[in-house]
Amino acid sequence: MLKLILSRTLQGVVVLVVVSALTFALLAAAGGDALGELASEGGASEATLRELRRVYGLDEPLAARYARWLVNLARGRMGESFYYHAPVATIIWPRLVRTLALAAAALLLAVSFSLALGALAARRQGSLWDRASELVILLTASTPRIVLALITLAIVARTSWFPIGGAGEETLADFSPLRILPPAVVLALPLVALFLAQAREGLSHALAQDFVQVARAKGLPERTVIVRHALRDALNPLITLFGYAFGSVVSGSVIVETVLGWPGLGALSVNAVRYRDVPLLMGVVMITATAVLAGNLFADILLRLNDPRLRPRRAPARTRRGGSRSLDLPAPGA
Amino acid sequence: MTDTQPPHPSDTRDAPTTPTQTAWERAHAAPVNWRGRARRRLARRWKLIAGLGIVSTFYVVAVLASFIAPYDASEQSRQQPLAPPTTIRFRDSEGRWQVRPFIYRLRLTDPLARTYSEDTSARFPLKLFPRGHSYKLFGLFQTDRHLFGVAHDLSRRSGAPQNSDATQNATATQSATQSANASPPPPPRVYLLGTDEFGRDRLSRLLMASRFSLAVGPLGTLLAGVLGVFLGCVSGYAGRRVDALLMRAADAMLALPDLVLILAARAAFPLVLPPARAGALLVGIFIAIGWAEMARLARGMVLGLREREFVLAAVSLGLTETRILFRHILPNASRPLVVQLSLMLPAFLLAETALSFLGVGVQEPAASWGNMLVSASNLTLLGQQPLVLLSPAFAIFLFVLGVRLLSDGLRRDGDLRAR
Repeated sequence: MLKLILSRTLQGVVVLVVVSALTFALLAAAGGDALGELASEGGASEATLRELRRVYGLDEPLAARYARWLVNLARGRMGESFYYHAPVATIIWPRLVRTLALAAAALLLAVSFSLALGALAARRQGSLWDRASELVILLTASTPRIVLALITLAIVARTSWFPIGGAGEETLADFSPLRILPPAVVLALPLVALFLAQAREGLSHALAQDFVQVARAKGLPERTVIVRHALRDALNPLITLFGYAFGSVVSGSVIVETVLGWPGLGALSVNAVRYRDVPLLMGVVMITATAVLAGNLFADILLRLNDPRLRPRRAPARTRRGGSRSLDLPAPGA
Repeated sequence: MTDTQPPHPSDTRDAPTTPTQTAWERAHAAPVNWRGRARRRLARRWKLIAGLGIVSTFYVVAVLASFIAPYDASEQSRQQPLAPPTTIRFRDSEGRWQVRPFIYRLRLTDPLARTYSEDTSARFPLKLFPRGHSYKLFGLFQTDRHLFGVAHDLSRRSGAPQNSDATQNATATQSATQSANASPPPPPRVYLLGTDEFGRDRLSRLLMASRFSLAVGPLGTLLAGVLGVFLGCVSGYAGRRVDALLMRAADAMLALPDLVLILAARAAFPLVLPPARAGALLVGIFIAIGWAEMARLARGMVLGLREREFVLAAVSLGLTETRILFRHILPNASRPLVVQLSLMLPAFLLAETALSFLGVGVQEPAASWGNMLVSASNLTLLGQQPLVLLSPAFAIFLFVLGVRLLSDGLRRDGDLRAR
């Protein structure tokens, strides 16, 4: 386990360096910085611009700037935001917490709903639950988050059940269930398609296997057969999906947070683009990439905890039954 | 695998007359339920058919957008901001049924609260193929005909059709004589989806926006697919150095969520761009980002197919590597690649919508489904006219549903064949 964590962390660092170099070069090469905007608006004289460039260190060559940025990053400093005039880390931190809370809520909702409906659907093929879940998959897979978010906003506007917006910009927002529910549901629904399809297929596959027969023959109640025996076998691909879903949630949070007023990382990245705040954007990109890589690693660890066959030292390597079943469903919309 | 022609439902190839059957068996076999069989076959690919239907309808409408749209998408009528959808009537205010559907003129009664009332003194029938603003159909033919519009007041042109009602007649003829002297006032406009803040017809904007939204995302997907397949093939067939380099680059691309990557790339370019250049930029970004996933898949397919016998056969025939790669291996990998392409399409269509919605994609006054949705994020407006404001959202939903059905159908079709 430790070996896995170490090697994956090392790989992750390499990927992060590549990502940061690409992003840095892209943002710098196009000459896109907040000062360019300032100059085009004619709000600053040539001398002021030069002075500002010197202050922010924008007059050095690209490689030197990148090296400096990298060294600072290693020391835990991500520079200062052009727009917010504050260290990038202090801006990102509270928003990262909010987005992670939102992502956790969304993933929890999606997984629990999918597992419940999937278990009901897998019991008998062609049953009402089975057909219902097929419809749910089709609908949730093809409803984009932007549409869902606006419909939710319309519902929120019509009713007064949910508090909306107004979550403090600078303080930690209160994570009351009512406030987190609308954005979490919007984030979760497209994931339901992904998880439900896999849960249904995995469970019906598992229920047809011998060890389930054995469990039934022992006289276990059907509920125990499904939850304790079949589910464990069906969980593996779901956990692998989990890593993917994390990226999807982060992507989706850009829209959802903007529309539903949840001041997290997604909404922040939009602002960073709007104000062409390069240091902030670099910070957001790095944090996001780190979060996604960490999510993938987390999924891998979970996978090994769930499936003893994947742990290297015990039982000799054996090909997994079922192999890697291909996913039945496409990526949910951003 | 390469045979893409689906068997027709009424295909008789699998009639249960096999050579091993005796004449007696054939004579006494249960009658074949052809109709049921056809229905089952059709049901099996209803997704493919429905998806194809929806997607092609969208494209036909987009091509004919300026014909179907009753008004110019950027033409403002400042007197009628945020008008509700025009009611199309068959009964007039006195309860008489009319042959032709008609509308009443809307008047802005309270400019602040934006309340409108109908002026029931004159009926304006709807008309097919009226003249309107001129445009080029298919970019070729100059014309000014549109699908529908509003005709002039009936009572003015033909004297008074409703002779029975004297009092109404009097007002009608009065207004008729007034307007006969001055130039006749233009007929009111019909707004099937109401107007936006600037008094622009929402339906026309929705239609013109479909052109943009249906071009940028799909074009980006297609080109990204082509580039990805090319790089993937090269990576899978060419060998180690190139392979390692390309796949590490793909890894870096795939480490970041789509939308974050697109946003970061977008930030490198000026924020305000004319619509055509913004569209081209988005297509460019989609190509730069979308190739990675496609290249992964294509590489895997090529690696798998490279060892097959038909490739060996092609090699022994002395064919060149490029010919083997693109004429022999690629066609065999085509179906999963097409399915993957159809999975990428909604993602990029939605990315375009999202960027336009966030104000960094296609910007006003050009219309895109995304930037039309901006007014839907206004809480007060959304409370007043939710359905109308969300109409671009429904268009997006329907199109994405169509694409999903299509890709689902394609994949099922592929499974069937593989069996």
